[in-house]
Parts: sequence; structure tokens; C-alpha cells
Amino acid sequence: MISRSAIRKALYALTFFFCVLTFTSRASAQGLDPAALLKPPTDAWPTYNGDYSGRRFSTLDQINAANVNSLTLAWIFRTPTHTLKSTPLVVNGTMYFTSPDHVWAIDAKFGRQIWHYQRKSEGDHIGNRGVAMYKDWLYFESPDAHLICLNAKDGTVRWDVVLADAKLGYFATMAPLVVKNHIIAGVSGDVTDVPGFLLAIDPDTGAVQWRWNTEPKPGEPGSETWPKDSDAISHGGGMTWMTGTYDPNLNLLYWGTGNPNPVLAGEGRPGDNLFTCTIVALDADTGKLVWHFQPSPHDVHDWDAVQTPVLFDAEFKGKPRKLLAQASRNGFYFLLDRTSGEHLATAAFIEQTWASGIDAKGRPIAKPSANPAPDGTLVEPGSDGSTNWMAPSFDPQTNLFYVNARRLFSVYYNTVTTKAEGWGGRDRILWANSTIRALDFKTGKVVWNHEIGEGESIAGILTTAGHLLFTADTSHNLLALDPTTGKTLWHLNVGGPLLASPMTYMLDGRQFLIIPISDTLYAFALPEKPGN
Amino acid sequence: MPESPQSFSSFRRFKFAAAVIIVVSVKTLFGSAAHSQQPDAKQDAAEAAARGKKQFAESCGFCHGPDATGARGPDLVRSALVAHDVKGELIGEIVKNGRPDKGMPAMPATDDQIADIAAFLHARAKEALESSGVPAAYPVEKLLTGNFEKGKAFFEGAGGCKNCHSPAGDLAGIAKKYSSIELEAHMLYPDFPPPTATVTLRTGEKISGVVSHLDDFVVSIRVGDKSGWNRAFARDSVKVELNDPAAAHRDLLPKLTQDDMHNLYAYISTLK
Repeated sequence: MISRSAIRKALYALTFFFCVLTFTSRASAQGLDPAALLKPPTDAWPTYNGDYSGRRFSTLDQINAANVNSLTLAWIFRTPTHTLKSTPLVVNGTMYFTSPDHVWAIDAKFGRQIWHYQRKSEGDHIGNRGVAMYKDWLYFESPDAHLICLNAKDGTVRWDVVLADAKLGYFATMAPLVVKNHIIAGVSGDVTDVPGFLLAIDPDTGAVQWRWNTEPKPGEPGSETWPKDSDAISHGGGMTWMTGTYDPNLNLLYWGTGNPNPVLAGEGRPGDNLFTCTIVALDADTGKLVWHFQPSPHDVHDWDAVQTPVLFDAEFKGKPRKLLAQASRNGFYFLLDRTSGEHLATAAFIEQTWASGIDAKGRPIAKPSANPAPDGTLVEPGSDGSTNWMAPSFDPQTNLFYVNARRLFSVYYNTVTTKAEGWGGRDRILWANSTIRALDFKTGKVVWNHEIGEGESIAGILTTAGHLLFTADTSHNLLALDPTTGKTLWHLNVGGPLLASPMTYMLDGRQFLIIPISDTLYAFALPEKPGN
Repeated sequence: MPESPQSFSSFRRFKFAAAVIIVVSVKTLFGSAAHSQQPDAKQDAAEAAARGKKQFAESCGFCHGPDATGARGPDLVRSALVAHDVKGELIGEIVKNGRPDKGMPAMPATDDQIADIAAFLHARAKEALESSGVPAAYPVEKLLTGNFEKGKAFFEGAGGCKNCHSPAGDLAGIAKKYSSIELEAHMLYPDFPPPTATVTLRTGEKISGVVSHLDDFVVSIRVGDKSGWNRAFARDSVKVELNDPAAAHRDLLPKLTQDDMHNLYAYISTLK
């Protein structure tokens, strides 16, 4: 007869054996095979949004609605006072995250630093959203609009290429996206009237594989939406400053573009100004435009349409569809068929005062009275938008689309006295109030609303198979909400704002939840059982 | 862009929580750069730009426009060459040698004249960069497009303003207190004092005072007035009756038409 202690010993031995196996398989893995991005494992968060769909939904459920109240701190990693707006990557047990000019590699289980890369640069240091990874290499965009390839093992520079001329006012903030053997890199611009573009870069050499320009060349489709006999089209803006999404089956890349320039003064650029404030579908191998949809034709309010174009498959009006949804900065939710770009639904997800209706193509119709004017124009939302770059989420368990949405009133002034250049004015914010909203993905109708406080929150959203929605309020509370009802299940005062988006991964049987707060990463997990 | 959130300096509302956005706006960066300059250097640059403006209008304006935004010749405010130029090194070459391939003749100019023209062009580019802000000294005349009588009627009637305000009382001299844009912003959404609240404990005890923090989970008040001792309670253990002085303005904002706003401004701007 076998004694209980012998069984226990045997079980321990087996457990140890499997632990060793797990460790071995992880430790021996080399870099990140781009094929793994097609179905990311749960021990990784290998792209900015976690996967190509941009849903920010994790299939992990170790942390769930039943036990979220016992969530505890696993570790804390403090950076020297850098505001963290990046979503970390986790690959092979190592976490990579950024701030402008900085990249850190830390151990994802213990929060200990492996290396730190720093490169001082000119340019706008407003934020950096993270790195991309291809095999053993990381790709990082700098404030002076360079793309830098780093060795993921030690942070040494492999190459450094210029994406755009920083002297002209370009800068860079986004996390590049790896698609097959392409590093997709966009650029930012702000006050100078420079044209936007998106590049595919060779991961090994840094050479440009293709370039898609936001503004068409004169005579090309879309050029008719700009004035002729003017330099407006070549100074039209339309930055590509947020990471897009990708459908491997259609081989289409989905990218949102920013506002046209001059920003608030549109009188010198009559027309829709394609392809600014537009969601574009590009062939991932050639950069050729396949279809487009423009949430804000002829924008004069700085309402970039760069918010994540979220991809999911679902039934719509009795037909299975490949869908794309965006909650746009202008306050409207758009649902499209991502194969064809066919418009399926448009709805305001929050109060707004600038649109009088929806046109035949599904685009909001701007009231001329909402244009910025010399004597001021009161508009909701202000230029920071009804939402902004913070991550939305789609939860396939609830079929709800979640967005950080805000009330925001501004008076917009057009201050131009000569030819408009740059912004050509500005809006003055009066009052803002933030919410987390759940939208019916088919209609955009608000299913629930959770108030998160006064001010402009830029907290992103993560949903998980544990029936949880993670975000934060404007009073420094982390929140876990019930994604079905919006009710608070857990909260914690962490003493600072969430200025990025939460992410999660599972390592050696333990699910970690990562929340960047100001300059510090907080890793949460369930308490370890004694003896582990 | 523009991805930069606006500075919270424009937020005058009492906030329940700390500001949620930490910002280094381009405007701030340029502002601080300007402040770091020595006053003399700044004045010298301004004088050079003023001389350059005259020089440019005479020598270059015919083709490039007197303000350098382009005419027959290209817009130089957006010029890549100007963006790369340091103290006229690149601009001087073009002025002296011309661009015969593009039909631009060489222009005779001294080094000092070129330095002035360069200072002017850099100042113009800077103006474009700084166009993302409304000037503090924005001319009030531009805002006076409304009708005084209609604004007064709105104040006394439909707007409901007189329920809380009076031109001889709290608003006396208000138009002297703020500059043009500031007055408009304060008219629409003033600097409110913090809300007050009465908190009822489970024992039935009531505590009133000034709210120092309020979220879904915690309410803190200064008992009595803002100089009182702070007390904090879990929201689920007390009842909170909030008196928020901003509520009426928040209700009004979505209802205001552009005309209402301009008419009201025409009236408020007379309260000096």
C-alpha cells in the first residue's frame, strides 16, 4: 500500500518536472516569430493592443469577478519620473515598455530591470506608446521621428533610421506594428502644416518597403476633395500617430488618420480633405489603399480619427460579418464591414452639438455654425474630443464595445488674420466630465454608463474572460467593473492617474495585471498560495 | 495633431480630484524656451525681425507675399529650407545666388540685411507654431458681435442668470477683472467655490461643510467652512447631500446657441 506522503512526494516531483519543462520551453524560446502574432499565447502580450484585433480582450480568467476582491500587489517598478503612456509588451517572460527617449526591459514575473536604453532627442516629448518586436529585435519611435532597432536581449542599437524630418515639426509617439516582415510605422505632427504618411520598414535593414501618403497626389482619387491651384493638399496634415489593426485573412491593415491642417482654420482647404480624419484599409504588402471611410469630413476641430479600429466577427442583421468598429474622437461610433468598407451603423455615443445629422454614407453632417470663428463658437466636444487615444475594448462575452467617453465643452476661436498656417486658432476648455460607456456594437446605443469623475480621463480599458473590465477613475482609483452592468466590483486608490491602458498575461500559472500609474508600473495578481 | 491634450490651466473649475492629465504642451515648451532667453537678446531678435519685415516686403514680397505666405513664389513660412536655416546661413545663399532653375533672381543684399530677413522668416514660422493658442491680448472688438439688448434680456429672462447673479452685486466690475477671452470663459463657466455638503452618519448625526474630496468611495469635508478640520467617510456608510454651485452652468452650456453666447457677452462686457 502506498502511503499518502509517498503520493504527495510523487505529486511534488511531477509538479517540479512540469515546472522545469515550462521554464525550459520559455527560456529556450528565441525572440518572437511573427507567425506567433496570428494567435498570441496567453503568456505573452506581443503587440501594442495584445493582438491584431485591437479588442484588448484577454482570454485569461484566473483573476475573475469572484476573486477580484483578493487582488494584491505582486511588484512595483518605478521609473525616474517619466509619464508612462505605453502599453508594455511581454514576450518570453520579459516586459518591454517606454517613455519618450526611454526603453526598459524588466523581468515580467519579478519586476526587476534587465536593461534600460536612453537616447536624448529633440522633438515633442508628449508621450510614447511602446515598442514592437520581431524575432530578437525591438522597434522604437523617438521624439525626433527616428525608428530605432534595438537588440531585445541587451538594448543595444542595431540601426537607427529617420522616418521624418523633425526640423519640419514631425515627431513620433506610436508603437510600431509588426505584420509579417513589415514594421509599420506612423508619424506625428502638431502645429506645422506637414503631410502625414505611413511607412512599412524592413525589419532587418531599416529600408522603406512601401509608403502610403495621407494626401493623394494631384489627379489621384481623393485629390478632388482639396482645392486646386493651392498648396493646401501638400500641407494637409493627417498624421498616422496611433497603432492600427490587421486582418491576416484579408491581409488588410486598418489605420486611422489625424486631422487636416491648418487645424482649426479650414477656409483655405474647402472639401472633405481626404484622407485626413479617415479610417483606411491598406494592403499590408504594398500599402495600396483598398477602401476608406471618413468619420470627420473637412474637420476643423482637431478630431483625429486615429482611435483603434477594433476588429471582430459577429452576426449583423442575420448575416455573419467581418466587422470594424471605431468610437471616434468626434463623438460618433462607426460600424463598418471590414472586407469592403461598407458602412453599417453610425451613432453618437455621447452628447455633442456639432452635427445636425448623418449623411447617406454614414458620416456626421457638420453644422456650419459649429465652425471656429473669430468671435468664438461654443461646441461639444472640445478639441481633445469625446474620446481620444486611450484604448477602447470589445468583449466577445458581452458583445459590448467599451469606450472612455467624455462631456467636454469648449469655445473655439479662429484667430487667423492672414493666410492660415499651423493651428490658426485654439479652443478654450470650459468643463469636462469623464465616463466609461458600454455600447451595443450593432447600433452604438449606450447600454450602460459609469461616471468616472470630473476632468479629462485618458485611462484605457481592458476586458478579460474573467468577466472583468479594468480601468480607472479621475480620482486615482483603479476600477474593476462588471462588463455586463458597469457596476464596480473592486477599486483601489493608487495615488496617481492611469494615463495608459492596462494589460495582462499569465506566467508560470499566475495571471498578472499591469497598470501604469504616472511614472510607475504596478503588477497585480492573486495572492500566492503559501509554499509557492 | 494633434494629440496634445490642453493644459489644465484653462480649467478653473474646482476639481473633486487632481487633474488627470499631465501635459507638456508644445505651447509650454515654446513658452519656456522664450522665457529662458535674455531680455536683451529677445529684444534684439524682435528688432531684427521688424527690420527684416520691411526689407522682405520691399525685396521679396512681390513674389513671396509681404507676409511670406507665398504668392507667385512659394510660402516661406512652411519652407523646409527656412526650418533648417540657422541665422541666415541657408537663406543667405539663396538670396545672394537666386534659384535660376526656378526663376528666382539673385538679390543684392548685405550680410546684415540677410540676417534681418532670416530673423523675420524665423519669427513668421514661430508665429505659425504659436497659432495653437489664443493670444492673451485678443482684441475684445472681435468678440463683440452680439446684441446688447438681447443679451440683457437673456440674462434677466430665458438664461436664468439673475437667479444667482446681479450686475450691481457679484458681477459689478466683472468686465474690468478679466481680459477679453478670459471674460468669455468666466461668463460661460466661472471659477466656482468648492461644493458644500451635508453628511448624515448612520447614527443620524449630520455634519456640514466644504467638500475637499468626493469620489464613488470616499467623501471628505472641512467641517463648517474651509478652515475647519477635515473628516473623511466611506460613501457606503453615510448619506451625502451635495450642493454644487456649478450645476446651473453645466445645465446651461448645452442649451446656449452661438447667438445667446455672443449677445450675453455684449451685455456682460459692459459691466465695468
